[in-house]
Amino acid sequence: MSSLSLRASKRFKATPPTFTPWVCHACRQRRTFAFTTPFNQQQPPPPQQQQQDDNPTHFGFETISSSLKASRVGAVFSSVASNYDTMNDLMSLGIHRLWKDHFVRSLNPGIRPTSGKEQEGQRILDIAGGTGDIAQRLLDHATTINGDTKTHVTISDINPAMLSEGRKRFAASPYTTADRVDFLEANAETLPTIESNSIDLYTVAFGIRNFTHKDVALREAFRVLKPGGVFACLEFTPHLNNSLLDAVYKRWSFGAIPLIGQVVAGDRESYQYLVESIERFPRQEEFRDMIKEAGFMVPGGGEGEGWEDLSAGIAAVHKGVKPV
Amino acid sequence: MSSPMALRTLLRTPPALRPLLLQTSRAAYHSYDHAEQPVYREAERTILSSALAHVPTHGFTQEALTLGAKDSGYLDVSTNLFRKGTFDLVKYYLVSQRMGLKDRIQFPDENIGVGRKVRGLILERLRANVDTGIVTRWQEALAIMSLADNIPASLRELGALADEMWFLAGDTSVDSSWYTKRASLSGVYAATEIFQTTDQSTEFRDTEQFLDRRLEELRTVGGTVSGGCTGESTAE
Ligand SMILES: C[S@@+](CC[C@H](N)C(=O)[O-])C[C@H]1O[C@@H](n2cnc3c(N)ncnc32)[C@H](O)[C@@H]1O
Repeated sequence: MSSLSLRASKRFKATPPTFTPWVCHACRQRRTFAFTTPFNQQQPPPPQQQQQDDNPTHFGFETISSSLKASRVGAVFSSVASNYDTMNDLMSLGIHRLWKDHFVRSLNPGIRPTSGKEQEGQRILDIAGGTGDIAQRLLDHATTINGDTKTHVTISDINPAMLSEGRKRFAASPYTTADRVDFLEANAETLPTIESNSIDLYTVAFGIRNFTHKDVALREAFRVLKPGGVFACLEFTPHLNNSLLDAVYKRWSFGAIPLIGQVVAGDRESYQYLVESIERFPRQEEFRDMIKEAGFMVPGGGEGEGWEDLSAGIAAVHKGVKPV
Repeated sequence: MSSPMALRTLLRTPPALRPLLLQTSRAAYHSYDHAEQPVYREAERTILSSALAHVPTHGFTQEALTLGAKDSGYLDVSTNLFRKGTFDLVKYYLVSQRMGLKDRIQFPDENIGVGRKVRGLILERLRANVDTGIVTRWQEALAIMSLADNIPASLRELGALADEMWFLAGDTSVDSSWYTKRASLSGVYAATEIFQTTDQSTEFRDTEQFLDRRLEELRTVGGTVSGGCTGESTAE
């Protein structure tokens, strides 16, 4: 991390990013697309998606066809895969680690051993799990807090480059030895290898804003969860609660982040997409209603808002419980 | 909260609960026209009431909540439905006991004074803590209620209980003494309930006497609870 920022600051000095056309626009595009081509060939889009292929969708603020979006999102994450931590640090002002800790703690994964009874552990699906940051925390919590040595996490991501970061992370982990973690390359909108009613907990952190059809992904989450199972999402919010903060943060995210992104990862365009995808994400009320629409009960729905804002609303946690 | 009476009530109350007495907001009067009555959904009601059955053994804990979920056909992880966890369990208990008070209480004679009715209502509400078997666990609940995040809601609930009691006692006047009456009844109730958690006497006689002393003080100092509150129990 420190070596990275050192490198970054050196580069910053070497190339003032304000007016330098850092790299040719078209080349950048080609490079990132080339990166994901093998993956796109491997996995043909599901039939239902083919119909929607020509529907326009959003790529940041650009409007592009649905089929293109999945591959461009793939390209973005391929190009930032090894810098993803830095990127999250920048966009969350460095507190995404605390949010993730809070997210996992509040979910309280794992099953306490009750007297005499042999527990099976939970089946957890970490969608858009990328580099396994959330999965690591889920397993740690289950093991150390709840004394559960059975709970299993499947880390799923559309992007093989992100997944291979995750594989690296868990290569020497005791969780791998104990067969408590595995990997699945899949689009969150269709999870054909996952049985209906088989999952206790579905998590998605900073991932859902990238999905082309969020409603389809939510319905798929509902399908794979057991009755009583929990959908949980941690995501940046498009608007802060306080309009002054909102203005300041927007200046920060639209102005500074893409520039820093360019310095850190040498890829301004990918970062620009990430920032814009946050702006495009539905507001908390709207997203809560989408979760209900998919069939979930939301916490505090009877009297409260049904979600939890973090850090003045830069990010929010949404949960839903599949009714029994 | 500026009269000497109110101040004394405040100072007598244990520090953890003092904030509860300082509330002077919201003017909803009794349960029949509360604007923000918490509405529990079917699943919440089932899980929380099953969980309460585990409180005598497991306390107001995540454990009790989880067992309640499992008894209702839900999973361990389903307790994520409750944003505030164990406090949601405490609050459900408070709300359901407040709402149930009108069905539990029967005045032998409708003509006894408002003061005697209030005394009967407090005793009846405290008896619920014994009947449900949670009295030995109530200190845990008080600890949860006094956490900074939970104080506003606990305080609102205590105020709502006082409103309900004044209403059921037949005091429907909405006048300038209303806030004082609510605060003094809240104070007496909170103090007596804490006393109850440490009471070792048979059938909670000491709690009853403690309550009578508090009511007597109110009568002589503040004169809010009129109609004779001393002497033998009227609610038995
Ligand atoms: C910002 S990363 C988040 C990684 C990790 N969950 C974390 O919190 O650090 C977003 C991830 O979403 C993945 N993603 C984007 N679209 C997806 C889709 N349709 N299905 C599954 N994963 C997707 C990307 O590949 C990327 O790994």
